Amino acid sequence: MATQPSAGLPLEGVRVLAQGIVWAGPFGSMILADLGAEVIEIESIQHLNPTRTFYRHISELLREGNTGAGLANRDTSEGFWNRYTFFNYAKRAHKSVTLDLHSERGHELFLELVRHSDAFIENNAEGVVASLGIDWPTLSAVNPQLIMIRFPGFGLSGPYRDFKGFGAAMEALAGHTLIRGYRGSDPSQTPPTYHADPNAGAHMAFALQTALYQRERTGEGRLVELSQSEAVMHHVSHAWMDHELNGRLQEHWGNRHPSMAPYGIFPTAEEPGLEHDLLPYVALAVPSDRAWAALCEAMGEPELASDERYADVVSRYRNQDELEPRIEEWTRQHTARELMLLLQEAGVPAAMVNRQTLMHGDPQLQARGFFEPITHPEAGTHLYPGPLARFSEQPLSPVRAPAPTLGQHNHELLCDLLGLSEAEYQRLKADAVIGTVYTEDAT
Amino acid sequence: MSTESSAAPPAESGPLEGLRVLDLSQGITGPYATKLFADYGAEVTKIEHPGRGDVSRRFGPFPGDEPHRERSGMFLELNTGKRSVTLNLKTASGRAILLRLAEQADLAVESFRPGTLERLRLGDPALREANPALSLVRISNFGQDGPYRDFAADDMLAYAMGGVLSITLMEGREPVKLGIYAPLFLAGGVVAAYAFGALTGGRRSGHGERADISLMEVLAGSMDRGGTNLLSTQYTGALGHGIHSIGSVALPSGVYPCKDGYFHINASIRWWDRLCRLLGRPELIDDPRYTERLDDPTLAPEIDALFLPWALSKTKREAMLEAQAHGLGATAIYTMEDLSSDPHVRGRGYFQSIEHPAAGRLEYFGPPFTLHGTPVQLRRAPLLGEHTVEVLSGLGYSREQIVQLRQRNIV
Repeated sequence: MATQPSAGLPLEGVRVLAQGIVWAGPFGSMILADLGAEVIEIESIQHLNPTRTFYRHISELLREGNTGAGLANRDTSEGFWNRYTFFNYAKRAHKSVTLDLHSERGHELFLELVRHSDAFIENNAEGVVASLGIDWPTLSAVNPQLIMIRFPGFGLSGPYRDFKGFGAAMEALAGHTLIRGYRGSDPSQTPPTYHADPNAGAHMAFALQTALYQRERTGEGRLVELSQSEAVMHHVSHAWMDHELNGRLQEHWGNRHPSMAPYGIFPTAEEPGLEHDLLPYVALAVPSDRAWAALCEAMGEPELASDERYADVVSRYRNQDELEPRIEEWTRQHTARELMLLLQEAGVPAAMVNRQTLMHGDPQLQARGFFEPITHPEAGTHLYPGPLARFSEQPLSPVRAPAPTLGQHNHELLCDLLGLSEAEYQRLKADAVIGTVYTEDAT
Repeated sequence: MSTESSAAPPAESGPLEGLRVLDLSQGITGPYATKLFADYGAEVTKIEHPGRGDVSRRFGPFPGDEPHRERSGMFLELNTGKRSVTLNLKTASGRAILLRLAEQADLAVESFRPGTLERLRLGDPALREANPALSLVRISNFGQDGPYRDFAADDMLAYAMGGVLSITLMEGREPVKLGIYAPLFLAGGVVAAYAFGALTGGRRSGHGERADISLMEVLAGSMDRGGTNLLSTQYTGALGHGIHSIGSVALPSGVYPCKDGYFHINASIRWWDRLCRLLGRPELIDDPRYTERLDDPTLAPEIDALFLPWALSKTKREAMLEAQAHGLGATAIYTMEDLSSDPHVRGRGYFQSIEHPAAGRLEYFGPPFTLHGTPVQLRRAPLLGEHTVEVLSGLGYSREQIVQLRQRNIV
């Protein structure tokens, strides 16, 4: 068992085995690794880790498309799974071990790792761990102090427990898709979003710390269950409470707000040279009569502030259909950045719609050092978004290590930690129980 | 079946029993983070302004749309299991009481505008002196420093600045935000995870952590696939605009209409055979007219032409159940009514019914995760200042002193 640290990062000394896939799992284990946990990614060379790549062979179309297949330098040559954005962002400071869990020896070694670990986290489909012989009864017998967190999309029980789905599927069921989207458009025009995934990951990271705290007091391990779709339901609390309190079914709000007006996203002039970095829109909120007067002043129409059609929030709310084009006429004459700076100075909440390419040059993020350079042995040196909290006493930044390459820590974990001999290690390699390259028929 | 609970706080129970959190935050993000601590058994003491209380007491929704500080849906949801103490922090006595509470706490969470805590002389060194091991989490829109430090924002604005709004749009249209407050709930979960780390750091070292959390950064790195998209621009030069469904190119992906509403589906290229079987067209599984072009987006209209007639002949629940039975990730687009009556969610006992003296009995969303063997019973949100007397008595204040403080509007 890992030893108690005397100082260092908060989760230093906590060893976590992870099979957290796609985005929910990686986002959660990223937080754990940020906080100092030793997170070991359990992979195999026989099965593609979907966080590393969806396909063994990447088509030209994907490579040349506007995502560049997410690969560093769009390089699709062998080993591309070590150069993928998803994995290399979220799995920073993780370790990687490859074990063929379908082989007897691979299975045994996994149980050995479990014996030496504090937690195992996984968000595979419900039945996967049982079919691999690594379910809770098996693992808790091996290590009674183990914490196992299972966080599939729909939980471990109930008729939907085997359902598939990414984040957009969760928010559909949670009722979120229907209450957002463009005003006057049907839901087929509502763009998908995937906040259910990071939401599940963050809650998983909280759940693990909860179980660790409980274990500290009771000495007992625990099975923890998190349904991703249930965890994201809190995001629709406003609509849920309206239904509970008033029996009302909210329709999509578009960019409007239940109690502020004007409120929304208004088109602006393009900023020369930054067409690709900044969307020509400004987000605008008027939370008070004072902010309204300031907006009118900024628009050069101070008399509007006392116009009875817009004088208080109730009349502004009622008349926002006619008010919005008037604001738009003004916002179109300025760039989003000008509007943000001018309005914030005047006391009106306003924000430009940053495009993700611009973010690296954003003065606020730069001033706070949000991005940090990380050198990955196969992807090169790039600026990565850093930890999402800035700790002053035990800083989480700079990140301790880049994301691991496939099987990078096989030797360290199998020989140094579990005590395998060099001969045994070579045999595992020869038998393809471990490895650092996906097999040709990996699926 | 919903479980019943009407017990008033502060009945301590749950896995986090023994932890003490001092909650100076307001609104959505901070209170959601501290709600997690409270629901799982920590003692969370919420400091509210006398008379006014947490700003979310004004957010609604209210029964009958009549504003009432004890009946705001958002407050009720976000403050389950907490104690409420009213305290005017601008007075010397109020400040002294807060420092006494800080002596006993493991974690404090605040979401004032940057600089406020210092103006109240409640930053370091006062907090450090009161309790060296206490950790402090500071939540703000843009962080405690930097050129945007004093900018005002709300959920939509932080979402816009985080760069994520730029991918929530349909081609050729303006960006469209998420549901009311949704980004702040996500941020609350992220804050809770890092806050727990800060707390643990302070407990282990005896030296409290100071965590500065910017909503702009949280949303940039977490919302949708923000963090990976930011890296993608570095890795490939890709512009990252327009969100792409994972693994889907030509196969149905997104929201589709059906007989009684809509459903969402993501079909991966690898699942072409499943889609053909779902549509009752197994002869297409090996048809090269399709199989050779599944990664070609221009094939999408042809596949939609096969898919839409099927979709329109099904209800949203039929579409979900049949597609899932074929191994395809589809879910119905639910209303709150659908959600409330869903056999899976209800069958799992997710909703919890809580009686509240001012708002009555309502069903609440349950805890987001369960430690098997340690079930969580939600406890209702507090009335404004409900625990002031109890907490002050616990600190040794006499009845007379409490009356004096109340007369001076300090509590």
